[in-house]
Amino acid sequence: MAIFLVLFITFYLLSAFTLLFIKTRWGLRLIAAINVAIIAALVATFAWEALPLLERDGLAVFVNSDWDPPRESYGVLNALVGTLITSAIAITVAMPLAVGVAVTINEMLPQRLRGVFGALNDLTAAMPTVIYGLWGLFVLGPVLQSVVNTVSTWLGFGEVMTAPLTLFTAAILLAIMITPYAAAVIREGYALVPRHIEEAIYAIGATKFEAVLVKLRYVKNYIFGGLFLALGRAMGETVAVAMVVGGNFARFTLNPFESGITISSLIALQFPNAHSYQFMVPALFAGALLLAVVGLAINAVAIYILQRATT
Amino acid sequence: MGVLAVLPLFLIIGDVMFKGVSAIVKQLGSPWEFLAWLPPDPLADRWGVGRLLVGTLYSLWEFLTRLPPDPFADRWGIGPLLVGTLYMTALGAVVGFIVGFPIGVYIGEMRKEAFANVARASVNVLVEFPTITIGLFVYAVFVFVIEDLNRTLLSPLSEWLTSALGDGVGQFIGPLGGYNAYAGALALSIIMIPYVALVTASAYASIPDSIREAAYSISGREFKAMFIVLRKAVSRAVLTAALLGTAKIAGETAPLLFTALGNIYYAPFTQATAAIPLWIWYAAQTPYDVQIESAYGAAAVLLVIVLTLFAVAKLAAQKR
Repeated sequence: MAIFLVLFITFYLLSAFTLLFIKTRWGLRLIAAINVAIIAALVATFAWEALPLLERDGLAVFVNSDWDPPRESYGVLNALVGTLITSAIAITVAMPLAVGVAVTINEMLPQRLRGVFGALNDLTAAMPTVIYGLWGLFVLGPVLQSVVNTVSTWLGFGEVMTAPLTLFTAAILLAIMITPYAAAVIREGYALVPRHIEEAIYAIGATKFEAVLVKLRYVKNYIFGGLFLALGRAMGETVAVAMVVGGNFARFTLNPFESGITISSLIALQFPNAHSYQFMVPALFAGALLLAVVGLAINAVAIYILQRATT
Repeated sequence: MGVLAVLPLFLIIGDVMFKGVSAIVKQLGSPWEFLAWLPPDPLADRWGVGRLLVGTLYSLWEFLTRLPPDPFADRWGIGPLLVGTLYMTALGAVVGFIVGFPIGVYIGEMRKEAFANVARASVNVLVEFPTITIGLFVYAVFVFVIEDLNRTLLSPLSEWLTSALGDGVGQFIGPLGGYNAYAGALALSIIMIPYVALVTASAYASIPDSIREAAYSISGREFKAMFIVLRKAVSRAVLTAALLGTAKIAGETAPLLFTALGNIYYAPFTQATAAIPLWIWYAAQTPYDVQIESAYGAAAVLLVIVLTLFAVAKLAAQKR
């Protein structure tokens, strides 16, 4: 059965690349269809693999916060809430920074430094995520704990952050990771502000600050597009988050200063022992399905906003 | 503000490089160790620098080929990790480029077609997809096909190739284990495809119409116009995209977790394969000092690889 799938894929690839030389347009269309097929197959595979658990529990999987493998009870609500908390904090911290970075690079810096800072910005976006995780685990976590505890003691709340690895650590690490990403999108839009509009802004006597405000309003579609792209990235980020989030599967928590779990890190951390249990693999695939569907929705919104911006 | 943006970058690179390089230097030991092994040389003073260099290179080579540490080891290296990363990255990059480039050409050149818009949307979605879901997908696909594939295709093929070419083939082609380097490479290539496609598409879309018309008028066939004449106009952008994509997949961990799994020995590529990011992920979470140190050492090597690719890509993009 499966061998037919393999043969079909081989035949498809061969014919697509051969057609490229004979009927270029059709060859290109067939190759482009591969990409669409990958996404369709991705979602279909997750739905299929998650089916045993979905049949048993229905959609209750997504609203149950009880993760208890020995009793074969699985709910991903815990992880879903963790994902929402971390990405919400990360976005709140990252967006003002990203706007500031984009404006600084495009407005304040001298022309010669712009290229350098732009490249460094791109490099921050391209660094391996596992290296962020390593840094977050050994440097950021302890530093953040002492900073947060100092501030909260000073405010009279006592020591709120009891461990270095918490949802808050993950959120701050995510903010650092997605800032350059959103900044790149905003810079792209910023570069597209037409020359005559820029001149018109200055012609009516705007100061530099006012000009920046007007231009930001002009590129607001790019800001929202960047926000959604960064959000999608924050929700799907795996390795760096899994290293610093603390890995608390069992207890439901809404407090960002406690250790928690996100969907992607749940998959990464629980998959190695999932095969010992009957329904854990389907549960993890259900999590992946949720991640994929949410990611699709967010990216669709982002692409819609960005395409409206360009036309 | 601009400084704030690059501050974390320098903090991270500084931290990883400082701890990583000092861990590596500790492993290299003194080059004199190697020299003591040579016969005493009456002209030692005259050739001192050369011998020092040879000794250093030798111990560096030792470091690059030794096995990663178990909790109680005191000498370690990154041999299998480096081999696995290079193999999977190269394979993934080649496959990703071969498939991604035509997709980019299609999206960039035939913007008016309805299907091109669908393809563009799908590429935009796939480039943002959580990488761990791609790893899970490849895992599920391999679980589905692997038994039949081994029985009907790979076992006979590898037997035939082994009898024809010798035992070395078994390192590359053979019945696949549940986790193998090819699954890892496939997952990496799926990450690479949309990346290359997007940059290629925007490069092709930015070609001026006058050049495009000239290309179509002199080349006769569509294939020649698109892939030979117009390619020259955008080759630099495409090369940059390929290099940046390679840098990106060299550091990916999540797609390899369930496909290559990781290993600490030299193993055939048909079995679980080691990779530098996987070792960092594993070793950083162990409580043993020597393994954490080795995670930093491996991270420094990974960072050097990624930074080199990035710098080459940026330089290639700038020279005009």
